[in-house]
Amino acid sequence: MNRKNGKALVVGAGISGIRAALDLAEFGYGVTLIDRASHAGGLLSQLDYQFPNNHCGMCKMLPLIERDTASQYCLRKGFFHENIQMLLSTELLSVDGEPGHFQVSLKQKQNWVDPDLCMGCGLCTEVCPVEVPDAFNAGLSKRKAIYLPIPHAIPNPYVIDFAACTLCGECEKVCPTHAIRLSEQERKKFRILVVDDELVVRDSLKELLEEEGFFVNMAESGTQALEILSGSETPYHLMLADIKMPGMDGVELLQKTKERFQDTTVIMMTAYATVETAVEAMKIGALDYLIKPFEPDTLIPMILRVYEDFETAGALQAEFGAIVLTGGTAYYDPGTGKNTLGYGVYPNVMTSIEFERLFSGSGPSQGRLIRFDGKPIRKVAWLQCIGSRDIQLEADFCSNICCMYAVKEALIAKEKAADDLEASILYMDMRTFGKSFQRYRDEAEQVHGVRFIRGRAHSITQDRSSGDLLIRYGDSGGKIHEMVQDAVILSVGQRPAAGSRVLADMLNLPLNPWGFFESLPFSPTRTVRDGVFIGGSFSGLKDISESVIHASAAALSASRIIHASGGGLAIQAPPDSETLDVSREAPRLLLALCTCDGAIFDESGKRALRAHFESDPAVDRVEFLEQVCTAQGWSAFSERVKKHRPNRVLIGACLPYVYNAKLNALSREIGLSRALMDVADIRSPLFCAADASREEVDAAVKRALGMGIAKLKETDPTPLPSTPVRQRALVVGGGIAGMTAALAVADHGYPVDLVEQEAALGGNLHWIRKTIEGNETQSLLEETVARVEKHPNIQVYAGHHVAGAWGEVGQFFTSIEAGDGAVTTIEHGVTILATGGIEAKTKSYGHGTSEAVVTQKELEEKLTEGRIEPAALQSVVMIQCVDSREEPRNYCSRVCCASALKHALFLKEKNPSIKITILYRDLMAYGFLESYYTRARAADILFVQYDVKNKPSVVQEEGGLLVKVHEPILDAPVEIEADLVVLATGIVPTLPEPLAEAFGAHLDPDGFFREAESKWRPVDALKEGVFACGIAHSPRSITESIATAEAAAQRSLRILNQQALPASKVTAVVRHSLCILCERCIDACPYGARDFDLDHTQIRVNPLMCQGCGSCVTACLNGASVLEGFEKQQMLDVIDAALL
Amino acid sequence: MDQIQHPEPPEKGVSTTVPAPLRAIQERVYACIQCGTCTGSCPNAFAMDYTPRAMWRLVLMGEKETLFNSRTFLLCSACYYCTLRCPRGLPLTETMEELKQIAARENHPVHKKSVLFYRNFLESVRRHGRVREMEFMTLYFLSLKNPFTPLQFTPLGLRLMGKGKVGIQVPSKGQRRLEALFRKAEELEEQE
Repeated sequence: MNRKNGKALVVGAGISGIRAALDLAEFGYGVTLIDRASHAGGLLSQLDYQFPNNHCGMCKMLPLIERDTASQYCLRKGFFHENIQMLLSTELLSVDGEPGHFQVSLKQKQNWVDPDLCMGCGLCTEVCPVEVPDAFNAGLSKRKAIYLPIPHAIPNPYVIDFAACTLCGECEKVCPTHAIRLSEQERKKFRILVVDDELVVRDSLKELLEEEGFFVNMAESGTQALEILSGSETPYHLMLADIKMPGMDGVELLQKTKERFQDTTVIMMTAYATVETAVEAMKIGALDYLIKPFEPDTLIPMILRVYEDFETAGALQAEFGAIVLTGGTAYYDPGTGKNTLGYGVYPNVMTSIEFERLFSGSGPSQGRLIRFDGKPIRKVAWLQCIGSRDIQLEADFCSNICCMYAVKEALIAKEKAADDLEASILYMDMRTFGKSFQRYRDEAEQVHGVRFIRGRAHSITQDRSSGDLLIRYGDSGGKIHEMVQDAVILSVGQRPAAGSRVLADMLNLPLNPWGFFESLPFSPTRTVRDGVFIGGSFSGLKDISESVIHASAAALSASRIIHASGGGLAIQAPPDSETLDVSREAPRLLLALCTCDGAIFDESGKRALRAHFESDPAVDRVEFLEQVCTAQGWSAFSERVKKHRPNRVLIGACLPYVYNAKLNALSREIGLSRALMDVADIRSPLFCAADASREEVDAAVKRALGMGIAKLKETDPTPLPSTPVRQRALVVGGGIAGMTAALAVADHGYPVDLVEQEAALGGNLHWIRKTIEGNETQSLLEETVARVEKHPNIQVYAGHHVAGAWGEVGQFFTSIEAGDGAVTTIEHGVTILATGGIEAKTKSYGHGTSEAVVTQKELEEKLTEGRIEPAALQSVVMIQCVDSREEPRNYCSRVCCASALKHALFLKEKNPSIKITILYRDLMAYGFLESYYTRARAADILFVQYDVKNKPSVVQEEGGLLVKVHEPILDAPVEIEADLVVLATGIVPTLPEPLAEAFGAHLDPDGFFREAESKWRPVDALKEGVFACGIAHSPRSITESIATAEAAAQRSLRILNQQALPASKVTAVVRHSLCILCERCIDACPYGARDFDLDHTQIRVNPLMCQGCGSCVTACLNGASVLEGFEKQQMLDVIDAALL
Repeated sequence: MDQIQHPEPPEKGVSTTVPAPLRAIQERVYACIQCGTCTGSCPNAFAMDYTPRAMWRLVLMGEKETLFNSRTFLLCSACYYCTLRCPRGLPLTETMEELKQIAARENHPVHKKSVLFYRNFLESVRRHGRVREMEFMTLYFLSLKNPFTPLQFTPLGLRLMGKGKVGIQVPSKGQRRLEALFRKAEELEEQE
């Protein structure tokens, strides 16, 4: 692993945080990933299915290169990476310093369960008497006060819910590893002094607080309190002081206490009459105040907060080069609005998240679609825009993802019910603006029979006897419908993540009017504070793919800052010490067994085991060590390894994943291949069979170790191949995306060749003047072009096109041809395709036959050039979705609705008397664009919805145009006289198929770049080393294009950062003597790692692209395809050992 | 429920000149996104020729003619459901009220009966501080200047009298204690 100097802090360990952290870690930076929750994964740990394939696939985000540096199991369970330090239950306290050198303090919440000791046996939950709603299942099921936050996480220590725990201590008694330290001794260390002149108050407080386990002392006056404070050797942590006392009053006591005992926290107690005094007291140092008479419910949580602070007193201090904020979003709670739609009252009205849990296999009904009353759910309706697009709720935005998750949930519900389910979606606009969304929606409607109803229900009523729900709504034509449903799902929208405001204030960052973090113009990730970046949904809700893109973009920005401040320097020269070739040696295995302080083996057991394993000729030595997991234990272990120089190492211990990083380091140090080292879990067998006899346990341990030995013994010790990398990038296309990507790579010190077929860089930016937000695009263009042209690491080939290319990740050869036919060949390690796209041509609606029918692009150009004068216009009609969102171009181009709004608002601003009518199908004013839609309506722009089956028509008449359209609300034809008709024709890509294929990339049915995985690897081609960004990837705005460009650059950097990339220990190879060239393995490989080598007439495996999944092995008829580490004999031996 | 019959589809689409009073109404509902929550909520929608959503559409399209030929706004019973539930927070009930006002001011023949009904109702209130049903009926029928109208209501009137809901009352000038209030209101209206 390449390690660099710099360190980054990533705040929030949801999908974006994980992506950003992995990106930075793969490049070699040290990353600290924190989350205030006690688990990683964020919201995604609750969601089992994602469209478009309705599976998960999150594991595809794991490192594909140098896989051995990270965990390789389900990412939803958790993960680790050598360069990532994960701190859970941790919050960001403060940030000081400059970009490149931020001084950060973090606060980690203490847990009463020691995560290093907790084995996850679950005995504690069995005895816990408290039950509360389980947040993981969105409150649909119950959990105990000691619980697993995520049932499937690894590692998965139990945690205690402070708020629910009654401190009964039952769990502590049964915990076999003494991981729980709930004991009152801990709380007894927290000393409280109660000062009040009234005995009743003092006594009741003392009783209450002692019940909670605290140490409590009392004083009846201020003077006495000060005496106690100064007389005590151990300090008091908290003082509860009454305000009105004879003699020295509470405020004076507070002053004197603060002068002499700064560490004592003071909370004032006050009668209602003196609240103002209490507030004043807070200004001179009191933490808070309590109004008498107080309820235990308000008192105890306040005391617990102070106690928690006392426990976590020592904040962690660290220096980071850059900070990435990936705090995610929260969801609207329908119970809080004016119109709750029965949520919280009728049990069968649920939010979309609750429904996700309902059909999850780990959910409250194990994935069966049944209601609380046991009735199967067979009729479900989704109500869209709950908490979104609602000005009454101050939510003048669209939440982006609800339309698609509703379709997905409908499809999964249908699948779960074996198609015996009626799904209806009530919507205003179906916002299918993302790549492949429109086809997914159409398929849901046409193939799977999901009902899409344009309508908005205002309320839900419940049939009291059956619990069924009645929805009433009016359809477009005004007809009123009523439908009875088993369940109604509220598609809840986004809200800023809890604590956004506090974090923003602390970091001095601006929030947008709705409380989301705001980035700079034309950058999705940069903030006004240099060195602090936002990723994922923190700046507004995004689907997984966009979140991943924005997270990578944020990682890129962070990486740039760290690099610029000297963090890019490697702290360890790659490659490491030569790997020893032990392929000609007989196995000499060192078996190191952790005794875990004698908990696993007794003396006779040790002797028996030693005798058993030393009889195996492959086992050189058996060593027993104390606690290998500790630093001492590990150094004892590595000493033995260095002394005896075994060529195989097996550790028998608990929690194998703990040792990964340490073994990697040891492997580098001693030069023994990491593939020849392993850890066998010998502790789990002990817990799984609590009532098993000693003999049974010993046998289980023996089996676990026997399997580990069998596997190592047969491992092929041939050193792993590595792939040389030409540390140079090629960017094809010099639009804003290509230029951004080139700059991003070049800023990290790697040379970049930028090829542009036009004479000038800039692409579409040449004709766009302003964005809808009012940002000037020309200055962006000029600045970017200037930076590209001046950059010492960028070689621009303007007026060139790619003539041909071949090669693979690490080593591509590309020929580029100039206009005069001169050919240059470029060698490069990675390719970024940024070939862009253009506005689609059309002949519809009379375009081309009349000057008065123009496209949105032509309108913008003519307005810029003054060829259209707004003052001379009387009536303008804009037609959206021209030839778009229907076959053969069945996709949304995403930018046309925004352009139409932009131009309409511009025309209205110049000439308020113009009548503007926009004919649309679904207005894709996604995200915060919604506010411009509102603005456009407020500016008297008329919107008329039309159906694709009944399109408008444009008739050319003398003196102007006549647009005819069916107005759905009046259910009547309408004619509009217009002197200008503007067509939104959408975007078509300009990525020639031969060009993409030359690099091994593929195109989707619409000619856009096909991603390896639309959600998890959104800018990668299936073929490693090829990336796409900008419009070549999918239609998108300037800022969104920049995000993909930065993401693509970040993905390239993890390859460019080394001269040679080692293969991972589990990689497929071909035994050419057995291979019959049937090519089945090529089709079977889900990573495209295999191809037919024509020069040598054999099947070739790219070791960097192979992910060791084993599909090829199962497809091969001859056993010619072999997975290193899982060879046939090896696996048979492992099975034998398991059956011993 | 049956599809509501529209009287006549509008002849011409978007007119470019919109009269001032309608302009003010338009400005109030510009932000409408035609979601139809108002129609779905309206308890009287079944009786309307245009549903509330369609009526707002006519307002936005400047279809004055069709709009004032419709009785939709007169059927509004001011329950405020639509205002409460509108996701855009538009003052729909108030705007319905304003449409009634405009119709009354402009003496549109379609709404003549309704306007007379309102006027005579208030006249009775003006005289007595409350409505006197029989007097109100008499005034209303007289103002219609159609001798046959009262006959249509005779069966209903008899039934109501039978139940003691309406009694014989002779129209009188009353004490006119609310006179000052009414005058002030008239003054204010004139100022507008």
